[in-house]
Amino acid sequence: MGGPKKTKKDDNSKKWKKRKRDDDEYVYAEEELVDVGDGGIPNAAKKNVESEDQGAAEDEYGAKDYRSQMILKTDHESRPLWVAPNGHIFLESFSPVYKHAHDFLIAISEPVCRPEHIHEYKLTAYSLYAAVSVGLQTHDIIEYLKRLSKTSIPDGIVEFIKLCTLSYGKVKLVLKHNQYFVESPHPEVLQKMLKDPVIQECRLRRNIDTTDGSAGNPDDFITQVQDKKGVLQFGTKQGISSGVVPKEHGNVAPGDQTDNKPAEATVPEDITNFYDKIDKEDEDDEEEAVLKTVSFEVNQEKIEVLQKRCIELEHPLLAEYDFRNDTVNPDINIDLKPSAVLRPYQEKSLRKMFGNGRARSGVIVLPCGAGKSLVGVTACCTVRKRALVLCNSGVSVEQWKQQFKMWSTADDSMICRFTSEAKDKPMGCGILVTTYSMITHTQKRSWEAEQTMNWLKDQEWGIMVLDEVHTIPAKMFRRVLTIVQSHCKLGLTATLLREDDKIADLNFLIGPKLYEANWLELQKRGFIARVQCAEVWCPMTPEFYREYLMCRTSKKLLLYVMNPSKFRSTQYLIRYHERRGDKTIVFSDNVFALKHYAIKMNKPYIYGPTSQNERIQILQNFKFNPKVNTIFVSKVADTSFDLPEANVLIQISSHGGSRRQEAQRLGRILRAKKGAIAEEYNAFFYTLVSQDTMEMSYSRKRQRFLVNQGYSYKVITKLAGMDEEPDLFYKTREEQSQLLQQVLAASDVDADEERIPGEGPRTGPAVHRRVGNMSSMSGADDAVYLEYKKTAFSNIKHPLFKKFRT
Amino acid sequence: MAEASKVIKITLQSKNLQCKNLHDYLKTLPTEILDRLYNHPTTCLAVYRELPEIAQHYVIRILFVEQPVPQAVVASWVSQAYSKEHNEVAQVLSSLRVWQEAAIPGGLPGWIMNSAFKRNMKIALLGGGKPWSMSSQLETDSKPRDIPYLDSYAMERWECVLHYMVGSQQQEGISADAVRILLHAGLMKRDEDDGSPVITREGFQFLLLDTPSQVWYFILQYLDTVESRGLDLVDCLTFLFQLSFSTMGKDYSTEGMSDGLLVFLQHLREFGLVYQRKRKAGRFYPTRLALNIASGQSRSQLDMNREGYIVVETNYRVYAYTDSNLQVALLGLFCELMYRFPNLAVGILTRDSVRQALKSGITAEQIVGFLRLHAHHRMVAVGPPVLPPTVVDQIKLWENERNRFTFSEGILYSQFLSQADFEVLRDHAQDLGVLTWQNPQRRTMVVTRSGHEEVKRFWKRYSKGAG
Repeated sequence: MGGPKKTKKDDNSKKWKKRKRDDDEYVYAEEELVDVGDGGIPNAAKKNVESEDQGAAEDEYGAKDYRSQMILKTDHESRPLWVAPNGHIFLESFSPVYKHAHDFLIAISEPVCRPEHIHEYKLTAYSLYAAVSVGLQTHDIIEYLKRLSKTSIPDGIVEFIKLCTLSYGKVKLVLKHNQYFVESPHPEVLQKMLKDPVIQECRLRRNIDTTDGSAGNPDDFITQVQDKKGVLQFGTKQGISSGVVPKEHGNVAPGDQTDNKPAEATVPEDITNFYDKIDKEDEDDEEEAVLKTVSFEVNQEKIEVLQKRCIELEHPLLAEYDFRNDTVNPDINIDLKPSAVLRPYQEKSLRKMFGNGRARSGVIVLPCGAGKSLVGVTACCTVRKRALVLCNSGVSVEQWKQQFKMWSTADDSMICRFTSEAKDKPMGCGILVTTYSMITHTQKRSWEAEQTMNWLKDQEWGIMVLDEVHTIPAKMFRRVLTIVQSHCKLGLTATLLREDDKIADLNFLIGPKLYEANWLELQKRGFIARVQCAEVWCPMTPEFYREYLMCRTSKKLLLYVMNPSKFRSTQYLIRYHERRGDKTIVFSDNVFALKHYAIKMNKPYIYGPTSQNERIQILQNFKFNPKVNTIFVSKVADTSFDLPEANVLIQISSHGGSRRQEAQRLGRILRAKKGAIAEEYNAFFYTLVSQDTMEMSYSRKRQRFLVNQGYSYKVITKLAGMDEEPDLFYKTREEQSQLLQQVLAASDVDADEERIPGEGPRTGPAVHRRVGNMSSMSGADDAVYLEYKKTAFSNIKHPLFKKFRT
Repeated sequence: MAEASKVIKITLQSKNLQCKNLHDYLKTLPTEILDRLYNHPTTCLAVYRELPEIAQHYVIRILFVEQPVPQAVVASWVSQAYSKEHNEVAQVLSSLRVWQEAAIPGGLPGWIMNSAFKRNMKIALLGGGKPWSMSSQLETDSKPRDIPYLDSYAMERWECVLHYMVGSQQQEGISADAVRILLHAGLMKRDEDDGSPVITREGFQFLLLDTPSQVWYFILQYLDTVESRGLDLVDCLTFLFQLSFSTMGKDYSTEGMSDGLLVFLQHLREFGLVYQRKRKAGRFYPTRLALNIASGQSRSQLDMNREGYIVVETNYRVYAYTDSNLQVALLGLFCELMYRFPNLAVGILTRDSVRQALKSGITAEQIVGFLRLHAHHRMVAVGPPVLPPTVVDQIKLWENERNRFTFSEGILYSQFLSQADFEVLRDHAQDLGVLTWQNPQRRTMVVTRSGHEEVKRFWKRYSKGAG
């Protein structure tokens, strides 16, 4: 395992560097933009623990044999996990100390897969960085890991943890009273840093005449004993004293106690003791903050230099925003409505963000439909400074506005939309909702938009919420940062993964991952729908398969999507679910197929060129009109189309092997369904694949992410009852061969997936542009796919140009 | 005017390991051996226990009847609705020679019970007769062995055989005799190049059976070779049945055993069916492997299989709580193994790894059966189903993927002299509905076997008329 992974990583870093050079034209923004020059990533973060076990012997069956490297503890049965020398951690979910171990592992490592019984996690440099930034200490991490493990911990892992955590998180960049301070509870670290001439340069001495302080003199630091502040509380009564939280916590604790009681005897004492300690640290970070911290002020203009230098010194700065003491930026008057109740996991994720009374930047990962927007709204209400929400389509801008109005006291006058269609007056509003492309696009804007942009640039934003943060390429993200100045950034996503492995960059662009929810657990507790995933195998008809085998790559796609048995299966499934009274969405990436299916079955469809008005009309009909139970959509609906009514999803063509798309699409039907608890499943996700075609292997690839989250795909080789179903289309050979003729007559452009030419704001609604980006960014790490991709690219963007060429 | 017909016949059957139960085995024995076997109460009791329930009733009902019983009377014991079961049972009893057909005065067909069986069955049920050969009194053992010791001993010995089969390196090796049995049983075969034994597809299937079935299968194969070793089959079988009724943890004397039986005992010792401290110890302990041996695969409730250790996840991961090389080796047959921890092996079921297993002759059913048999108690607690259904389905689908050809017998007609001839015959075959395949360009066609005669006759008539 180690070998190939490592080389892949290397490749990426090379690409990464190359891209960086391309990006030099941009001016980088201040604050936390660590991605400058070669020192963009701390050295330790480049370390890959996967390669640590190169030396591990393989046993006779080809498995990595770690038996010699670890000693089994005698009481191993009561301890829940194994730690492999390559950083992989296996956790028994049925262990009595599962809860303790799980919370801990979520904090220090990345979940790899979390099915029912045994979970796998992985220690990475980024995950450890995140652990440190939420306040865990190197010593505690190692110690607790040791106690939880069934075996001794391999030395390599201890080394790795030390390397990645010792110097991290020691120094923070804090913005207080609009002055930047470098703050640390460890005076010696600051002393060491101040010995560095570059950092000395950046230091700002206001009191230079009174104390003619020589650099490096610890007395010179601003020493501060922080006063105790209540832990922030999320939920209905925002303003009220913090007394509720400990009480609530107290309520939880006895519950835990009783839960664990029968198992108590089997839990080694050291684990529980330690857990309590860590737990306390987690909850009452405040107490810890009473500790003396020392700080020095830095020159605002030199922040960027400072950050770069700090990374070179292996002391990356954590950015925190002390919004309560920010007197320069005016408070905006919003609160959560009393009706907004946070679910436990939402509260937990927010507690990670506001753990010590300040706002940390970072990413929160929650499944689609689990209430990400409420988390975003609550974060804005907590900070109570000007907030900027960035999302990726015009439709979701509307949805965010709805969310704000639903959960908070904000009204129309406070929320300003800024899209190509809707431009509210920005002056005096507290919340601005816009799209990524609106902010970043470089062409000429209308005068009105220009005004808004200028205003936007002038503001100092309290919080920036980045919706669907996985979709934005690093390049675009940097542009956003150059334009917008905000004190803290909150990224929201369901799928922190990209086929190009660039997701790790977000760690240093936005901040560490603060929280990631377990899908299966949320499903069990009814927060998201219980989905039955199924893969329906549709045999290729002989005629289609013959053509498939003989034709060129681009046409192949069209052949397997237009496979008559697939069409018939789709039609059957739609009818079946319409009879049940379900609401069905059918996804097709391929526009030719989309139109053909939809027109033949006489259903409404939405794709790129559909106008915003028509879209909203179709969606409204889908929601409220009992006659419209099925809609066909292209990939424009992959993300951020909030359709709470839909509970059946049929996928007839998809974007190669993209795991993310699969997860995002599943997200369309994940919102918890009302009043259907009796049934085992209350939502259905069908993927139709043509047997023996490339689709099969794509499909296997796509499923990996969800399968790792504990979902399982049922393979259906034959739909029961389909033969009895009267008047399905394409029953006879004649009809089928007619269809085949149509497919063969289709042009190459039709065979292509939906791509929208041009990037200008006037060529279509904002959604388009994102789509173009996404298709170029994901799903491209496999050779077969690359080849296919190439043909897609070699087709000229616009049909018009094609004429000229031929 | 040439007409050539060729029979295309492809038979493709996957050879599956046939694990016989006691009845199947006894049925294969010659009648005189069966009759001799019934001279021992233990055999009768063992056979009786394995009979279907209805058959047990019949035996008890006519055990004390000294004359033939009319068949019609026996048939009247069960209601008409179950006549099918009755016929089956009657067939079983006849084939085991528990009863034979006999005419009753008056010419009606009747059943009479095998006299030897009747006599010894009575002894088995009511007591009496000669003492069993193992039952002679012994002084108490100075170092008695308890049940856990015997269990672990038995397992260790048995796993030696399995280890040898999977060819893992760390094992003590087994005797040439045992190797010969493995070869005879077709579980291993001599490699064509260097003559060393290698495992066969039957061998792979054997490995995935549960332990009692393995032992029973192995012993049956052993019994096949018993005669050639100069041992008496009846003696050996009788001894085995005696063993199967013995008590765990009790020691028995070897006194009064013939030389042949002593040799047999040494063989059983090697496979772990009995424990002897020394070859000449004069006493032996039966182990769990020997107990209830005759019940074979039909009842695997005997707690031979240690606690389940395999966790199968919906993401195709397989976790095995084991430090045994053998168990890991078995998993390795169809899993791609990733990590070994001191008490855990981590593997993953992939299409390739399962196909590899399928290629070497293991069936999907066996893989699933093995996983289910050894499922971890967590899996059992969550189930049923014990295994994730999607994984089970997928393994079966992977198997089906390999079996997509359907074969049907047919007759090929080719080398027609003219297109017209071809078309006439083809149309005729098509009208009859027996045409399987045709290729007008090459003037060849295939008709089904059943339609062959008809088509041939037509062709004869046609060609005569034309010529």
